[in-house]
Amino acid sequence: MAHDDALIKELEAKAKVLANDCLDQFCTFSQGHVGGTMSVLEIITSLYFHHLKFDPKDPDWPERDRVIMSKAHCCEAIYAALVELGMYPKETLGTYYCYGSPFQGHADRWCTPGIDFSGGSLGQGLSFAAGLALSEKLKLKLYPPSREDTFLPRYIVRYNPTFRTYCIMGDGEMNEGQVWEAAMFATKFKLDNLIGIVDYNKWSLDGPTNDIMPIEPLVDKWKAFGWTVYEINGHEFRQILDTLDMVAYQYGDNKPKVIIAHTIKGRGVSNWEALHMHLGRGEEMMKGVREGRAKYGDME
Amino acid sequence: MATWNKHVAIGKPVGVGKGIGKGMKTAFLDNPRALAVLEDMQFPEIEWFVDNMFDRMIECGISEQNGAGVAAALAAEGFVPVINNFLFAGMSRAYNQIRQSILVDRFNVKFIAREGVWGEVGVSHATVEGWGSLRVLPNLVMINPADSVEAEKASVAMMQYVGPAVIKQEMSPDPVSIFTEDYPFNIGKAYSLRDGKDATIIATGYMVTEAVKAVDLLEKEGLDVGVLNMSTLKPLDEEAVIAAAERTGAIVTAENSSDINGLGDAVACCLCENLPTPLIKVGVEDEFGQSGLITDEKDELMEHFALSAADVAVSVKECIAKKERLLKQGLQRGGS
Repeated sequence: MAHDDALIKELEAKAKVLANDCLDQFCTFSQGHVGGTMSVLEIITSLYFHHLKFDPKDPDWPERDRVIMSKAHCCEAIYAALVELGMYPKETLGTYYCYGSPFQGHADRWCTPGIDFSGGSLGQGLSFAAGLALSEKLKLKLYPPSREDTFLPRYIVRYNPTFRTYCIMGDGEMNEGQVWEAAMFATKFKLDNLIGIVDYNKWSLDGPTNDIMPIEPLVDKWKAFGWTVYEINGHEFRQILDTLDMVAYQYGDNKPKVIIAHTIKGRGVSNWEALHMHLGRGEEMMKGVREGRAKYGDME
Repeated sequence: MATWNKHVAIGKPVGVGKGIGKGMKTAFLDNPRALAVLEDMQFPEIEWFVDNMFDRMIECGISEQNGAGVAAALAAEGFVPVINNFLFAGMSRAYNQIRQSILVDRFNVKFIAREGVWGEVGVSHATVEGWGSLRVLPNLVMINPADSVEAEKASVAMMQYVGPAVIKQEMSPDPVSIFTEDYPFNIGKAYSLRDGKDATIIATGYMVTEAVKAVDLLEKEGLDVGVLNMSTLKPLDEEAVIAAAERTGAIVTAENSSDINGLGDAVACCLCENLPTPLIKVGVEDEFGQSGLITDEKDELMEHFALSAADVAVSVKECIAKKERLLKQGLQRGGS
């Protein structure tokens, strides 16, 4: 389970490249959801560059792991990952928010191969993810592989599902009632192939999440809904990778899992962290971008 | 008695629900990927489904928003989920979920939605505004069958069609049986029950029954009135609407729902753009539903909402008078 230092270093370097790619996207119109994007970068990097079963050459591969970006306003991070995986040329980053671009303002499955869910209306991702997880189980139940296909008895214990579904949610999104409807649903159908990840960056658009509508005690809430809960620092690669592995290893316990990742909104850029800017715009935003450039390199 | 076109034989009243149930059975036997997504609101032919399709029923409980999201994902994986509920719950409650999770990506999700003023159950369930609210949503096919034969054929056709679609199961008295078993149903095609000369009633769902009765009432007064069954609200069969307007020059629309953004408005827009024609809408006029007594002798709701055959007949006569007035004046507006 232990991950060697070389891998961690590699991922840390990758995260910096991704951060820089996100800054490119913010520059297009001096717009973007910078805070939430910068806070979820390490999680996206861990998923796309190490953990996921994902083939950039075949984004519709039926056995790929699904990533449902429920907080779809932060899809810049995924766009950056898709670019770094070679699915889109680097120039596409400059077309973010543009008419006809595959990089739409909010994630759109219809225009962007590699994206699994058209989000933007918060709270809906977990339902969709639960539906995907259910269909993984349902397909095996309704159309079991024949003995001739597998040479194995049908009732053999499966150590891995055909695919796993990861759902990345924001903390403000926990206010949505539908999240908890989906939480009940996942427990009822024993969706142990479903993994929720909460990017708990403590800030919403209007202010601190727990002032606007307190979501604490969050861990107890998920536990009460029958989920297995892990709490980690969402910027520590070692913790993220270990937890993702642990969650995968627990497959078969009939319980959905949620990882609550404590993060910092607008991480890495001082005025974004201080202002907790959600929607940086114009000059104020470019100040942050310049600082980010200096930090993440490529300040040409 | 009035004469009718081919495939039409007016008979005894039968509930539309029976037809939808039969159609669903056929569709589920045909397509092993069809799934019933339940929201604690049963399903047509529930006993048969429990006995034969238990593995293919997903019970979501009373959580319509989650149900819509789950159905979207099941469709994304190649299943054909069917959601059955009252329209206000299954669709209006989950309006944004249906828009964002299902229609944006054109996922193959089907809905059976119950709506209409004859709810008896009161204002919450007897909604009239939901059907119209769905008409503005892109990518959604909307079907409202007139009788149980058409309901069966429409359900089967809906399940074969690839893309999101909704079939309305109207809350109304049982409509008379209208079509024969060999009636050819096509999504997006209206069917003329009777062509007529003086006016055409374009009706949908239960109101086709009232239109059929109105034709008899008007015949006694010497008027030859046609009936066009517009079972698909979206996409609208514009050719049939324009043909009817050309033939009779007076159009009355009849629907068992709000007359705002429903069949009446769709037909009116189509005619205004293509062939301006005198038109009167019969429907619920900007008002909520309510409970009421419905027996064979007395129908309080029909009286309240003025949706009976007699009301339709009055509108037809009014519309014909409008047409004659216009003919006399010649169309002299604008310009000189």
